[in-house]
Amino acid sequence: MASNNLMVGLEIGTSKICVVVGESRTDGTVKILGVGQAPSRGVRKGEIVDFETAMKCVHEAVVDAEQKSDVMIRSVYVAVAGSHLQSFNNRGCVMLPEDRDEIDEQDVEDVKSNAREVSIPAQNAFLHSIIQHYHVDGQDGVLNPIGMSGQKLEADFHIIHGMRTRIQNSIRCVKELPLEVEDVVFSALASAQVVLTKNQKDLGALVIDMGGGTTDYVLYADGAIRQSGCLAIGGDHITNDISMGLRIPMARAEKLKIEEGSCILGNCLPGDMILLKDDSGFAGKEIERETLNTIIHLRLRETLELLKRRLDEESYLNYLGGGIFITGGCSLLNGLDYLAGEIFELPAQVVHAHTTSGLTSAVENPQFSTAIGLIKYAQAVQRDRRPRRFGRIFGKFFSGIR
Amino acid sequence: MIQLSKSYSLPDSVEDFIPIKIVSVGGAGLNALDRIVLDGLERAEVVAINTDVQSLASSVAAHKVQLGRNVTRGLGAGGDPELGYQAAVESSEEIREALANARMILICAGLGGGTGSGAAPLIAQLAREAGALVLGFVTLPFSFEGKRRNAQAREALDRLDQFANAVICFENDQMADIVPPKAGIHQAFASADMLISQSVRSIVNVIQRPGLIRIGFDDLLAALRRRNGRCLFGFGESDSDNRAHDALTQALKNPLMDRGRMLSDAARILVHIAGGPGMTLSEVEVLMQELGRHVNEQTQILFGTAVDGRMGNRLSVTIISSLAADGDIALDGVTSLPVAVPTPSIWEQQPQPQTSVDSVPESIPMPEPPRVPPIDFAPIEQEPPIKEPAPPATSLSKKAESSSVAAQGRSAPVKKTNPVEEKLPAKQEVLQFEPVTRGRFEKSEPTIVEGEDLDVPTYLRKNIKVK
Repeated sequence: MASNNLMVGLEIGTSKICVVVGESRTDGTVKILGVGQAPSRGVRKGEIVDFETAMKCVHEAVVDAEQKSDVMIRSVYVAVAGSHLQSFNNRGCVMLPEDRDEIDEQDVEDVKSNAREVSIPAQNAFLHSIIQHYHVDGQDGVLNPIGMSGQKLEADFHIIHGMRTRIQNSIRCVKELPLEVEDVVFSALASAQVVLTKNQKDLGALVIDMGGGTTDYVLYADGAIRQSGCLAIGGDHITNDISMGLRIPMARAEKLKIEEGSCILGNCLPGDMILLKDDSGFAGKEIERETLNTIIHLRLRETLELLKRRLDEESYLNYLGGGIFITGGCSLLNGLDYLAGEIFELPAQVVHAHTTSGLTSAVENPQFSTAIGLIKYAQAVQRDRRPRRFGRIFGKFFSGIR
Repeated sequence: MIQLSKSYSLPDSVEDFIPIKIVSVGGAGLNALDRIVLDGLERAEVVAINTDVQSLASSVAAHKVQLGRNVTRGLGAGGDPELGYQAAVESSEEIREALANARMILICAGLGGGTGSGAAPLIAQLAREAGALVLGFVTLPFSFEGKRRNAQAREALDRLDQFANAVICFENDQMADIVPPKAGIHQAFASADMLISQSVRSIVNVIQRPGLIRIGFDDLLAALRRRNGRCLFGFGESDSDNRAHDALTQALKNPLMDRGRMLSDAARILVHIAGGPGMTLSEVEVLMQELGRHVNEQTQILFGTAVDGRMGNRLSVTIISSLAADGDIALDGVTSLPVAVPTPSIWEQQPQPQTSVDSVPESIPMPEPPRVPPIDFAPIEQEPPIKEPAPPATSLSKKAESSSVAAQGRSAPVKKTNPVEEKLPAKQEVLQFEPVTRGRFEKSEPTIVEGEDLDVPTYLRKNIKVK
């Protein structure tokens, strides 16, 4: 088996580190060979804060994945998140020479580099520049201008950038192991590859990836990314709120959140209590279910409302025909889809990876969306990149990714 | 051999029942009355009063009074309180007859419509003139029923308050809290009827049950006497092994009780425990101890207990109390202001000063003299809310312009909306005096969005009390 068919996605999350080993098939599907996991330490809000510890955890997860999939892992695609990531839309423009009016590949390359000629903060680096649409002589919505006639070629790009050093931290953490880093990918972009179908991207959809430390989002309209970003609020915050509000240890709060938590208010009878059994070092406690749900509800409502305000800066929310797709570990929380639907006034659903084969039951969980999405991303990139020269890690332009 | 019965002989006398009448006014009142009768009620007479002959005919009550034969001609009042009032004036002789010979009259009405809002205050007045103790059990309309209806209801409640000794008020909006969101609308209305039925029956039982430690009118009044007060009411019944605990838990689950939280703010609580002959002292002790955890140390507990053979294996707990809605704590417990309000017509009367209406006329017969002189517990009351100006008593014919005033002035009373819903719109930050903690994010980079440190729990930042 050719080794370049093997792809590995690595997500260094706030609550867990996840490695997915997949194999690209000729028919375009992906077969998952194995999933390695390790609880994450030294990561806060999607960013590494304790390098040594995080590295150990990544190592554990990689070893776990190697054992489960019986594959030697050499290179990985790494997902990154963190509040430093920013995005904007930009338009590039080139004029064709007078003597020629057929657009060729070189013109497309030119317009891409032109679109990138924008100023981003000096310490930042481009992470993704994703084509939305081309315009030829003012004609909108051109998907592939090569071969078309025209004098003026414009291109709209969605550009995601972040702080170079912080992205570098994730890369270094993997390289120290030592593993090769094929690429770094914004985590919500990776998730979107696997939770959305092409049809849903065309209709317009919002993907919210609520993880342990961050809430990442990408918004698609007309088949192209329009908005993306990262809020440094996640499941950890809920756990922290519970822990402080109910005065119970973090580990207890986490367990309580997973087992009993819901973000729907007014759904339980007054006086409905949850009994926390006593444990070594922890006296038992009775907790009112409504109190727990109120804490969770307030946090999630705030987060989603914040997200809505951000997305409202541009008016794409009104054009979402596909609705809202929530994934990530936090989406397992009872009632989150309902709450999101209420706040955004759009149909919302919790989704997980579904376009894979092999090991399906194990990976049909929103927690793995990003890592599996990395494989899909890799597949698309490799299909696109194979004829070309191996690119640099930063500042790629792939037309295969939308 | 003769066996000596050691069991305490129960006072099984029947003749000392206090004549109680339950009067229901208007369509909603009749629905509640049907529920009360169907749920089983002993030792009280029921009277149904309505303008609408059709609904009167379908009522299960034995004694019926039709209002305004000439004014409404057997139809309803059409949502017009003025019409309801005139109908009641026309039939006031019949009402007087129906109310005669009762020492205690409970008036059930749904406020907001025509008959309930218009006639109930007049009936309360007639009942007081007949020398009875008057308790009102009223529902306020859902907020979606419109501002006009709400304003009518508030105004009617105001007037009823002036004549009744106490008014227990159920906001239909609260029903949304106890009815699952997907339940049909009839269920929401039915649960309002259920609550009224439960509270009426338990109050009748509290008064009528032969008591070992008897609860009298005076105790009931002491617990309820708080003008504009938010009434706390809980009733629980259980026959399980752990019935004392179960009954209390059930009583505290009542939506008017806010899960026992409100009890800590009450200055006076009436607790009545009833059980069959098998009820033990230790059960009562356990129950009272458990209840004690929910109440303040200084709270005066008016305790009553009764053994009733009909209870069988069951044990029931009734908790009744009221909270001051505004800062009228000083007023509470003042025993000596018996200012009766014998005004001939309630619509034309002059504005009554707020302090003169929370009163017990001396003519009201008390089964027992007051046991404990009420003590002023002002310092332990809840924080004094903003005192709103008393609404001017406007004529109902001018209700269109007065509706906003009435709604504003009476918004304080039994309001018990979801604390979250209530406080969410509050945007203004309150200065934090205690150091704000960020918990596990203490050492990580703060997430500051729109000027707020999002690592601090949301409920702390929004100042929402979660416990």
